Amino acid sequence: MLTAPGLMNQIIDISTGQLLLALLFILVAQASSFIYHLGLNRDITIGTVRTFAQLFLMGYVLTFILKSSNVCLVLGVFAVMVVSAIFIVRGRVKEKQIPYIIPTFLTMLITYFTTALFVSGLVIGITPWWEPRYFIPAGGMVIGNSMSALAISLERLFRELRQQKELVEMKLSLGANYREASADIFRNAVTAGMIPSINAMMGVGLVFIPGMMSGQILAGADPLIAIRYQIVVMLMLVGSTAISSVIVMLIVRRRCFGTGEEVLLSPR
Amino acid sequence: MTPLLEIRKLSFGYEGSSSLVFEHLDLMVQEGEFILVKGPSGSGKSTLLRLICRLNKPGEGSILFQGNDITSFPPAKLRSSVSYVAQIPRMIDASVEENLLLPFSFAINAAKPRPGKEELQEMLKTFYLGDITLDHSALKLSTGQMQRLAIMRALLQKPLLLLLDEPTSALDQESASMVFSIMERLNSEQQKTLITVTHIDYKPEKVSPITFSLSQCSLHLAS
Repeated sequence: MLTAPGLMNQIIDISTGQLLLALLFILVAQASSFIYHLGLNRDITIGTVRTFAQLFLMGYVLTFILKSSNVCLVLGVFAVMVVSAIFIVRGRVKEKQIPYIIPTFLTMLITYFTTALFVSGLVIGITPWWEPRYFIPAGGMVIGNSMSALAISLERLFRELRQQKELVEMKLSLGANYREASADIFRNAVTAGMIPSINAMMGVGLVFIPGMMSGQILAGADPLIAIRYQIVVMLMLVGSTAISSVIVMLIVRRRCFGTGEEVLLSPR
Repeated sequence: MTPLLEIRKLSFGYEGSSSLVFEHLDLMVQEGEFILVKGPSGSGKSTLLRLICRLNKPGEGSILFQGNDITSFPPAKLRSSVSYVAQIPRMIDASVEENLLLPFSFAINAAKPRPGKEELQEMLKTFYLGDITLDHSALKLSTGQMQRLAIMRALLQKPLLLLLDEPTSALDQESASMVFSIMERLNSEQQKTLITVTHIDYKPEKVSPITFSLSQCSLHLAS
């Protein structure tokens, strides 16, 4: 066993046995679900299996990519992450009437790529800009956070437009264009998606220590460098979430209205 | 003389439904006319009004407003001239005054003259709403009061054609009489062009509307 001074600047390996020991946490969660009839046993099991499978797969892929240092591979992994994200968004939003997948996917691809490029190439200033040790984690964090924000915003937009269809039509009947008639709904949808990122900025360092910063410190990095990275990450996440949410909401909201600016969403 | 509204061979059916609501429906409305469309529930009366102001996707055939196809107008411009009042009146969560001035918050009506407080208060009286104040919460009004307020609000943007969708269906007898009286006065005193659809047996006292019955996918002249 390593003593404290020996811990500095090196990371302790977690053996398979130690990793399996962490499954005790899952047993506790399963027991809670079982005792209180939460109905989460199946989801917890699937989630645990997926966590192991996906992260091990990601680990092997990243090891391969870091060794090969190939720009096409880096961009390929990035594209796979965005495609996976759009499937998750589709699963959460469950909207069949309005075609929102393609504009959302394209916006995610362009916005997240630009953000990751800006952070790795300009803010961190790494050469080449696609250096996988920086570009892939940056892209992953942007995609993960903004994906959740987009799912929340889209779900809110569709739900409120359905619920408030008659109110929107009342405004349209009084001469409002579709933007004016749905301004409150648009604002609520974008805000709902943005609030988690803004709350995270409020609580960071006080309420919680973010995963990336914790990881860097565990890996032996100087905490003062780790916080600088974390600040960049927090700002990057708010910016990318805002840009992608606003663009997607603008495009998808237009698709909720027909050529006569009539509301296309019908009640469920 | 170009009719204010002309419907030519309008056919319409809802998506996913094999039957048509209208088939080759024709209608001509001149300025100052009061058109009353009667028909049972589900015969397509509301759909007809919603198609005229483009709240529903267009069907086959054409609808002309002032001689031009309604699809040639920007939707907001069309709806500031052809104002639709829904069967269930909707208000924003604000005062009576803010609700009445809502149309002026939209770009298309921004240049139109805004009525002042005194003018609004006077208008409220003519709509049998003299007992409510402008700062009263609109959401606390009764359905009958809301319906009259909704008609007044639609008129404030000075539309050329007013479409009233079952304006009395959710009202008691007294409120319904007030709305009928308002409709008749608008037509007889202000020469407003109205199209009203209703499923109830309404016989106007002061005006003689051109009455159609809507059945079997078409309009039939009743009077």
